[in-house]
Amino acid sequence: MRQASVSSGLRQLDTLLPDGGWPLGALSELLVARSGIGELSLLLPLLAQTSRNGGWMILIDPPWLPYVPAMQGHGLNLKRLLLVQTQNTEESLWACEQALRGVRGGVVIGWLQGSQQPAFTQLRRLQLAARHGQKAAFLFRDHQVAGQATPASLRLHLEADAQRLKLTLLKGRGAHSGQSLRLRRDHLSLTGITPSLTPFSTEPAGQTGASRPSLSMHPMSAAP
Amino acid sequence: MSETWLAIELTHLALDLARRAQAPHRDLPIALSDGKAQGPRILDSNPAARRLGVEPGLALSAALSLAGNLLVYNREPAAEQRALERLAAWCYQYSSAVSIATDQHTLLLETGGSERLLGDSQRLAQQLEQELLTLGYHSRAGQGPNPEAARLSARLGQPAPALNAISAWLRPLPLSALDLDPGQSQALEQMGFRHLGEIMRLPRKALARRLGTALLHRLDRLTGLRPDPQKLWQQPLSFESTMDLAAEASHCQALLFPINRLLRELCGVLRGCDRGIQSAHITLQQGGGEEVFTLRLQQPSRDESHLVTLLQERLERLRLRQPVRRITLRADDFIAFDAAPEGLFPDPENPASNPLDPLLERLQARLGKRSVYGLRGIADHRPERSWQRCSPQAAAHSPSMPHRPLWLFQQPRRCAIEDYRVLAGPERIESGWWDGHDCRRDYFVVRDSGGSTLWAYREYKPEPGWYLQGLFS
Repeated sequence: MRQASVSSGLRQLDTLLPDGGWPLGALSELLVARSGIGELSLLLPLLAQTSRNGGWMILIDPPWLPYVPAMQGHGLNLKRLLLVQTQNTEESLWACEQALRGVRGGVVIGWLQGSQQPAFTQLRRLQLAARHGQKAAFLFRDHQVAGQATPASLRLHLEADAQRLKLTLLKGRGAHSGQSLRLRRDHLSLTGITPSLTPFSTEPAGQTGASRPSLSMHPMSAAP
Repeated sequence: MSETWLAIELTHLALDLARRAQAPHRDLPIALSDGKAQGPRILDSNPAARRLGVEPGLALSAALSLAGNLLVYNREPAAEQRALERLAAWCYQYSSAVSIATDQHTLLLETGGSERLLGDSQRLAQQLEQELLTLGYHSRAGQGPNPEAARLSARLGQPAPALNAISAWLRPLPLSALDLDPGQSQALEQMGFRHLGEIMRLPRKALARRLGTALLHRLDRLTGLRPDPQKLWQQPLSFESTMDLAAEASHCQALLFPINRLLRELCGVLRGCDRGIQSAHITLQQGGGEEVFTLRLQQPSRDESHLVTLLQERLERLRLRQPVRRITLRADDFIAFDAAPEGLFPDPENPASNPLDPLLERLQARLGKRSVYGLRGIADHRPERSWQRCSPQAAAHSPSMPHRPLWLFQQPRRCAIEDYRVLAGPERIESGWWDGHDCRRDYFVVRDSGGSTLWAYREYKPEPGWYLQGLFS
């Protein structure tokens, strides 16, 4: 049986996703090998459509500050943007659940704060909360959790080379895992000017050196 | 139109003030002392104390020897008066005319006008008793055609009839029903009177001469011969209530019950004056100092369950350094309030009916106000100055630049450009001389060796060098 879904706005991606789009009323996990390999761009069409229709975009613990002119350039209605900053994993999970249950509809995206990995039961709470609020719910997680079981309805693995972003379906309702899709990075950004990439801090700190940006998670929390 | 009055006698007000912080199941023995320096005696005690033999009239020293863990409070007439005033304000939910009869800790409500709306006054009397009990106050309510009859009805536990039948109702009552002072009842007894009917038969002049005009006037007020105008209580548009904790609370969760009671009382007062609040301040007095926190609401409200949800979030986050001895709830700004008609449920198709406020308040209550916000663009060419935190929904339109990165570093970071491959650029950004932030930069899209795309710039002034400022995601 086909589940409720919403088009990702990217035709190729919709064909990969088991329900023909992002699941609604369920949790989706996006596992990223390096942060920003276009992962946020994948969600931009959904965010633009949702916020223009009055739905809320709730970002829990985004790793950096959303850049207002760029977000707006992709059609997002910033009047519907809510940012939430927490201090640890427990608060982060709590805030996600509140956001999922709090208002109906809309999109919730969480980057879990803290180094602690959430337990299966904690994630199941989020999955249930997403159903309750009829939301599109996304969790960005490190690709190293790929081996762990998840209660989420959808799990995608994202990695990139110079030209392409590779999406692999690790889990989907009624779907065979392992199917994959390659999207041109320069097509992901709607203007086609630049590809969109961000790394997680998968490299050891020593390797990056002082001249490299520290792309560690949650530098925002250090800000006043 | 005939009047109907409700009298609510707060039968244990002083004791209730001492014990209302305690959840009913806790049941610690509590007693009230007259506080006299010489031979203090027990005035009132709760069931737990009475089970140990601590009865009113007992010497305090004897009480303490019966119950070693007895918590003893002294009467505080000023606190009792303040409580009566709060409860009078609370009673305005049910009446447009409330007055305070301080002598017997009694509140008088004229309900004639609202009778049809509220059902018959007897049912209202029971409802008021129940609701006061949930606030921690024991009471008995009565109703009658005038204030004096309503008070008598409360004392007797039976409703008084309409005015034309009141004399017949009074006659068979024992004199003790009038709750006269001991001297007076002794005098009446010596004269051989047992029932009200016997003194009501006396000639008025004789009655006044033998028993004083006060009793005559009281009988006249009961039978409606003498008008009994009441001074209405004027409620101030603020609220403050304090509770002493019978047992010091060292866990935040132990504060939930007492503060919940205070909030419930506050919400009743707000309904009484048709107002709402946007903030309520809670002071926790501890051994050495005090802790103050505020519950904030996005919209004026008087919804108790809503406030309690906020309270729970706040308490979970609170770390008590010392046990709490006393709690004060204060709300200063009562705001005119248009309650949404009840039964109006949000329409999922209409975003305006799906408000963010309750979620916002819950998040802010636990995470702090600064941790939950929206963003708005401001007109400045320098990216690090092109945004501002704002309250959600307050975002204003800003320029659209889809070719810029989705993530911005709050602080640009110095970098060595040799480590990166340039994909696009430059884009010149030059601005700021007018406000002392003179700068000139060339921006580039660059990629690092790991495949990430970043936003870098070369600054010429004021701080020459290469910097990273954003991330293309």
